[in-house]
Amino acid sequence: MRHWSDKLRVPFSIGLVVLVWQTVYLLGIVSEKYFPSIVSVAQSFWAMIVSGDIPAADLKTFGRALVGLAGAGVLGIALAILSDLYPSFGKGFRYISDVVQPIPPAAFVPMAVFSLGLGIKLYAFVIILVTIWPPFLNGVAALQSVSGVQLNTGRMLGCSNRELLWQIKLPAAMPEIFAGLRYAATISLIAVIVSEMLAGRDGVGFMIFKKAFALRTADVFALMFVVAINGVMLNGLVNVLRRAIVGWHIGMMERSE
Amino acid sequence: MKRIDHRALMVPIVILILWQIGSLLYATPLFPGPVKVAASIAKNFNVIVSELGHTLLRAAAGFALACVTMIPLGIFLGRVRTLGRLLEPLMDMLATLPPPAVIPLVMLFAGTGDWAKIVIIAYAASVPLLMNTYEASHSIHPLLSKVAKSLQLSRFETMRLIDLPSSLPMIATGARLAIAASLLVSITSEMLLATNGIGVYLQRSQETFKIDAGLAGIAFISLVGILINALVYRLEKRLLFWHYRDTAPAE
Repeated sequence: MRHWSDKLRVPFSIGLVVLVWQTVYLLGIVSEKYFPSIVSVAQSFWAMIVSGDIPAADLKTFGRALVGLAGAGVLGIALAILSDLYPSFGKGFRYISDVVQPIPPAAFVPMAVFSLGLGIKLYAFVIILVTIWPPFLNGVAALQSVSGVQLNTGRMLGCSNRELLWQIKLPAAMPEIFAGLRYAATISLIAVIVSEMLAGRDGVGFMIFKKAFALRTADVFALMFVVAINGVMLNGLVNVLRRAIVGWHIGMMERSE
Repeated sequence: MKRIDHRALMVPIVILILWQIGSLLYATPLFPGPVKVAASIAKNFNVIVSELGHTLLRAAAGFALACVTMIPLGIFLGRVRTLGRLLEPLMDMLATLPPPAVIPLVMLFAGTGDWAKIVIIAYAASVPLLMNTYEASHSIHPLLSKVAKSLQLSRFETMRLIDLPSSLPMIATGARLAIAASLLVSITSEMLLATNGIGVYLQRSQETFKIDAGLAGIAFISLVGILINALVYRLEKRLLFWHYRDTAPAE
């Protein structure tokens, strides 16, 4: 039994944004220089698509976010497995994660520019350094909390320790690792945008900054829209992967409701 | 079980040694080793602490602003269900827009002063606070609403006396995320539109090729992050003792 508000909520939200936006614009509370109408934002969005600026920049930005996320995911899971195999290593690595985790991605950029240049190496380094933690920490926690029943079942079926890890523990931990990956997707996008703003050569982050300095506000709003779309796409991609790998888990969760 | 695992300590030590060897091999001031960074911490201690003070002050102001506005809003939207459900996609949309993307825009509106940064920090802290508060007050136990009804509480009283306290554990989780976000955005915004603060200090260190001084600054950021985390954890345990007491498994 769906509530009537369920069907209307997406159009309502969008309508509300448009309404408030245009009211502010028409009342002239904020000067038009800083607050363009939706129409002009849409126009500049379209203009930048046609001119190829947005596709070119976004290909770079999205590609960087994706490479970083994939690297962080693989490395994070690998480190989590390693920590599970060698508890001492796991404990020691926790010190590192405690120290590195609170540092914002932006702080790494100026320090790494000289050693790594302005290319993909810089982005990969920064993104991996900040996005590795959610999959790693979730992975460690999930591998540790695999239920004894599942482990004993595996042992009874004659699994070796290695088989136990690959066939039982890792699949059981996957749903939680994916929760970490989803969080990591958002962070990786943030890290890319910030790095592009600071490294200042190309990509959507750089474009936002350049347009803001040139007071092309409509362009800035349009680019922010592009960033939001990127966030949705990256999330969607992780979700597709999640359905493919841990679809059984999602099915189980839905059945239990 | 408070014994320190010596083998675990080896991991950071090995990494430090590798870092030192690497820096000795390259022998350039652009890739300083841990010894140099430690020396730099001693040298720049006063500057770093005073710059970090500016940063933390702004982060605290932004976080406070977000708390004051978003917690009541979240509870309101959770209680007035239809409105909350209608606005849910809007909240999701805002959540996908990373705070740093907002920085240039706020720069246009509010200039480069303190307020511009505080507004951005508040925006960044708002998202987790609003989401968690809304989620908590939205999924409140139905029995509690009935209690409110039988006590004949008004809507406002229900929100204040029932919804707020029972949402606190989840608000605390949101607050922890929000604190991390406000610290992150505070530093990031300083690096982009700066007058003072640790972000400016980092940029200046790069411009003058003092990478060791910059890494010393980063070390302090990390230290402050760890301290704040520990503090929040303590506070949570103390203020929400009733929640942890109830959820602790009976022994």
